Amino acid sequence: IVIGYYDNISYGSRFRHSTRICLERIREAMLHHRWQEAAEYMVFYPQKLEGSEIEYRQNRELIWRISIELLHHMPNSKLEDYNNIHERMKHLGVKIYLKVSLEQSFHLMLCGQIEEAKQLLAIGESWRYGKESASQHQTAKLIQAYRSLLDYVIWCDKKFTLDDTDDDSVTYQDMHSYFRQASVHLKEIFKNPGVWDPFIVSYVEMLEFYDDHEEALKILNDYAYDDTFPPNPNAHVFLYQYLKRRGASDKKLTKVLKVKQLNWKDILSETVEPRKDWWPALHFTSFHAAQDSKENPELMKLKAPVAKIFCPGK
Amino acid sequence: MDYLFPLQLFPSFYNCGPPGGQKHPPCVGAWGCYEQVRPQFQVDSGSGSGSGSGSGSGCSFTPRRQVSGEAWHQKEPLPLPLLPPKPAFVLPLKPPDPMDFTKHMQNFYQDHYQDEFGVMGGLLGDSFYPQDASTQASSIPRWQLDKFLDLLPYQTCSRTYRTVPVDLLSPLLSDSLHSVPMDLLGSLLYDELSEQRDRRLFFDGATGGALDYVPVTEESGCLVYPGGPGLDRLNFQQVEMQPIREGGGASESITTRKPISFQLQGPVRQISSSSILDQICVVVRSQYLCGVWRFSQWEEPRLLQAVSCGQEATGVSVSPHVLGEVLVATESGSVDLWTVGRGMQKVRADDANLYFNAKSPWRWCEFSAHPRVMVYADRTGAELSDIRVQPTSCHTLFRISKASKCRSGERLVLSRYLRDVHPFHHLVTTQHSAYIMDERFPCVPMLKWDHMMQSPPIFCHILPGSAPSAPHTKVLLGSQSSQEVTLLQYSGGRSEACSSSGPPLVLLRPTDSLQQLPVQIPHRRDSASRRLATPAAGLTGIQRKGGGAQQHLCVLQLTEAGDIFYQILQNDAPSHVDETPRRTAEEEAELLASEPLAWDTVSDEDVIGPTQVFGFVPETPERRRPSRTTTDSEGSGPEGRGRGTKVQVVVNENPDPGHVTSAQADKGAGLASAATLSDGALLVWRRWLQKLFLLDHKKKKPRPQNLPHFTVCFNGILQLSVKQMEERAEQVQSLRQRLKAAMSERSMLDSAPQEAPVPLPDGVSGELWEDQLSRRLTAAWEGPEAWRSWWEESLGLNREEKVAALKRKRRREKEARRASGRRLQLSGSFTSSISYQSELSDFSDSAHWGSGRSQGVETDVEGADPDTEGADPDTEGAEPDSIPWAKSPSGIRADAPTPSTRGAAKGHMTPSRPRPPSLTPSLSNTPTNQKRPRPDDYLRSLTGEQELSTQVDSLFPEVLTPPLASLTPPMVSLSQPVRPTLRAGPSQDSAPWSQPQTHSALRRLALAIQPKKKKARMGF
Repeated sequence: IVIGYYDNISYGSRFRHSTRICLERIREAMLHHRWQEAAEYMVFYPQKLEGSEIEYRQNRELIWRISIELLHHMPNSKLEDYNNIHERMKHLGVKIYLKVSLEQSFHLMLCGQIEEAKQLLAIGESWRYGKESASQHQTAKLIQAYRSLLDYVIWCDKKFTLDDTDDDSVTYQDMHSYFRQASVHLKEIFKNPGVWDPFIVSYVEMLEFYDDHEEALKILNDYAYDDTFPPNPNAHVFLYQYLKRRGASDKKLTKVLKVKQLNWKDILSETVEPRKDWWPALHFTSFHAAQDSKENPELMKLKAPVAKIFCPGK
Repeated sequence: MDYLFPLQLFPSFYNCGPPGGQKHPPCVGAWGCYEQVRPQFQVDSGSGSGSGSGSGSGCSFTPRRQVSGEAWHQKEPLPLPLLPPKPAFVLPLKPPDPMDFTKHMQNFYQDHYQDEFGVMGGLLGDSFYPQDASTQASSIPRWQLDKFLDLLPYQTCSRTYRTVPVDLLSPLLSDSLHSVPMDLLGSLLYDELSEQRDRRLFFDGATGGALDYVPVTEESGCLVYPGGPGLDRLNFQQVEMQPIREGGGASESITTRKPISFQLQGPVRQISSSSILDQICVVVRSQYLCGVWRFSQWEEPRLLQAVSCGQEATGVSVSPHVLGEVLVATESGSVDLWTVGRGMQKVRADDANLYFNAKSPWRWCEFSAHPRVMVYADRTGAELSDIRVQPTSCHTLFRISKASKCRSGERLVLSRYLRDVHPFHHLVTTQHSAYIMDERFPCVPMLKWDHMMQSPPIFCHILPGSAPSAPHTKVLLGSQSSQEVTLLQYSGGRSEACSSSGPPLVLLRPTDSLQQLPVQIPHRRDSASRRLATPAAGLTGIQRKGGGAQQHLCVLQLTEAGDIFYQILQNDAPSHVDETPRRTAEEEAELLASEPLAWDTVSDEDVIGPTQVFGFVPETPERRRPSRTTTDSEGSGPEGRGRGTKVQVVVNENPDPGHVTSAQADKGAGLASAATLSDGALLVWRRWLQKLFLLDHKKKKPRPQNLPHFTVCFNGILQLSVKQMEERAEQVQSLRQRLKAAMSERSMLDSAPQEAPVPLPDGVSGELWEDQLSRRLTAAWEGPEAWRSWWEESLGLNREEKVAALKRKRRREKEARRASGRRLQLSGSFTSSISYQSELSDFSDSAHWGSGRSQGVETDVEGADPDTEGADPDTEGAEPDSIPWAKSPSGIRADAPTPSTRGAAKGHMTPSRPRPPSLTPSLSNTPTNQKRPRPDDYLRSLTGEQELSTQVDSLFPEVLTPPLASLTPPMVSLSQPVRPTLRAGPSQDSAPWSQPQTHSALRRLALAIQPKKKKARMGF
């Protein structure tokens, strides 16, 4: 028994040792972009999953990610190969199921297979297992949001064909159902602080189509002025653009703009004094003068009196 | 337009709070991950050029991580030295251990004894002058002093080689004799060594890097780097990347001109430069000094001003907006704006770290898009501070938090303003990641990479993309101790959101070069590898925006030894694909011819068949590594596909090999074609190494760090004395004469009266020691089971058991007898009696239950020798009622030895033969033998051995010393009457081993062969 025990230990440590070396080689080859070599080593690495439960848990994400990256760089990789790996990995463990689903749908989206991606996301949406961790919760939210985004894409397609077809009412109803599907989850994700530019844009476009301006304005205002959200300049841009589209007054527009820009004129006179030491050096260099005299003598004429105002001593 | 902000950013959650999450995530970085995607509508443009266009609305998606970027690959498989090697201080590879400070103290005392003991030595000299002990009481006798001094250059055992007077004097004088007190020196050395060790592990003073390239004209530029042994000489050297033509293909190389040098007062730690219009401003930071140089295309570099900072300067940054403005950050947490010619102005002071207490005095500063807004960074994050107002108004640009998806323990190591790429972008690096931050959208990274480097990247260089052939921005990150350089690429930042392009690419390191070069002899290889492994000190890159599709990128790396290595990367356009691999393959073939052992592609060619061109190229990134290919394409795991794409597709699915070649070439051209070492590069390296060895040769060898061990001379210790030698010679002489005489008489040589040339000592058997203690010890030698059974027997614990067993056996035999026929009964009774005897002999030891009677008595009963009884009078008393059927072991063993051994042994048993008595434990009770070992001596010698018994038995053959080995024949013939041997008196004392040792060794020997005896007995 004792001998058997030691045999097991040495086998286990030898196994760990060789798999560790294998992983190092894979990593080394991949970092040097020697994909072929890495792939050859990678054939043997999944044996690691036959090790202990801990190793299994630690390695499945690693194997998934490395194999996908290798597929990216293999000359003849096909979509089936990707799907094959994704499907296998999804069922290797519950913890990475959502992550794998999301990445797989991304791949399908990039391949232009919107319907398949949407189907996949819908499956991921309905997937439940035990207690969700914080990151899993966010992944689930993202899956819902991306599914809604795909709804929007299909909605756009319908809108695109709306003008061509005769039977408007059917398409219109179709569109509306997609809109309803999308709006549920999009509204949900806007409650979480984050950067949601594509989602906001698509949702506002749909709302504008259905003339729900109150909701659109509310969404945009929340996105721009909620303190828990990061200070996204695009939030103000979207609001400004929306207001401009709606033909809002100049006052309102400048109010939005003020967040981004300050009115320099008023404070210029007060602040010229402390800037004396560097402003002229920044804007009125001899090189500029030489260049201006060559290329744009009129500008130079204009600049000279200004320079005199700024630095009377010189 | 530069001020454009991306129309849509990638969606992401914004999590506040301290960093958390997985502490050790899998080391895969961002491999195989798109992270996020973003829709793009191309309704207006109508051109579906995106990676995947959906349907009518023209929606396509863009991932945050693009699968591939520009395909850069090295021209040579190893970096080339730019300059010939110069003398430098090369530190050992291993960082020093602070606990070695005593060794350093010792070295100091020996190498600089005048500094340490000169003063007091001069004062005390008269009193300690070695004189006759009678004149001065306190002096040390001369011979003792000489002995002490002789031993000083060696490492000795301080207990064995102690000099009592010196030991007595040292506590008396230890606090007054040293010029530098020992405590002070020790603590200072400890501090210094720990600092050196920390510095070897991670030296933040080098952040930013002391190497910079300033482009002056389109083709040429100025390389600013430190030189000299202490890196305290600032060099400005004009360099040029020139296309040279070799072997049909255009190649790039670097030419240099004579440098302009300035001697500084300290090692250069950071060089930062900025060119405003046509003026170039270079600021140099050393530990406490900063200096500004200025030059242009027409002017030579000249020093404008140098300032001394009160505290150690940790970072400098030269303004890209206003000429002659420099920010200097110091360890005290203050940042000064230094306007050259007008002095320094403190713009910010912070004692504490920004966001949490990271216990780090390191500070960093950079300019930003506005000339009066600076980035102030420490280990916890970076702030944008407006220095126009006092106190400065700040807002966070980056912080170690969940918002930037940091891991716990992650720290900021470098921040860099990317003025050439985007006016609002900053690069921030940590141990694990690199971030692109936008000033206009602080806190949320525009892009995050996992750079996958082993040590933190503290050097970086940014190469802006040049449309249209190389549109991606390239970020070179360099680490210090491991010399890594990683190339990252990204695109976007203006109207498009930033997205990374391809996985990180690790570039070559100087430390790996030797493996690719011809083999050097060991001491040269060691010195070269030490030199090449010195930590990096700077990193820069040159991008040649040449015409045509082929782009070149030169990455330069400075090491702390002052060497600069460069590697040229090229980005091949598809038109070059056909040409490049073939040329590489030809070169490979040439290499093959010279080194046939390093290469084995038999299996490869078998598999791939006609596609050797491609089979060759990707398999040989390093020629020392033979590539392996197996035909096992049916991978068991999901990775079978990854492996199988090559083999399966080539062999099974695609019958047209030519098609495969082109398909593979399309995708893997830039990636897979490995560079081979060209003759030119080899020549450069050869020259460099030769010069390095020449330098080493010139250098005086330093004193070895550790003292040599003092060894006692053993020469002649095992030789015979002169007298013995003479005796031996006489014996040999006489033997020869007699042999000659016998030969001339044609008779046999009568050897009886003469002694054998090699005296054969007698063996000792454990069985001969028949007192209870010895028997117990003998049993103990056989292992714990035997020992336990001995005790059980001697305490009578298993008596009932044995009796029962005996009865059972007898009954069985009786039954057997009854069952067999009448005719067999007689022989049956005979066998039974024999078995009875053997049975009893098996239990012979059981005769001593509780009685504690000695075996010696038994042998006495058998009439062997009465002396034995007397030998152990104090261990065992003689007991008259000995059990008659208890056979002595020696009696049983009588048949064991082979006749030949016995005959051979007989010759040695002649009583006249003198033999060293110490070989056998003397048991005789003769009055002359005063060295008779007492029983407790034996006990001691045996108990000492007992714990080791099991191991020693197996090790025994190696333990045998040559004289002991000669004991073997008599040991085998243990049945011989050995008593006369034991009685032989001591005549010679020349045996080099002591008695107890011999005894135990012999006992071991006896025990080692005991199982053999048992076997013989069982056969009986």
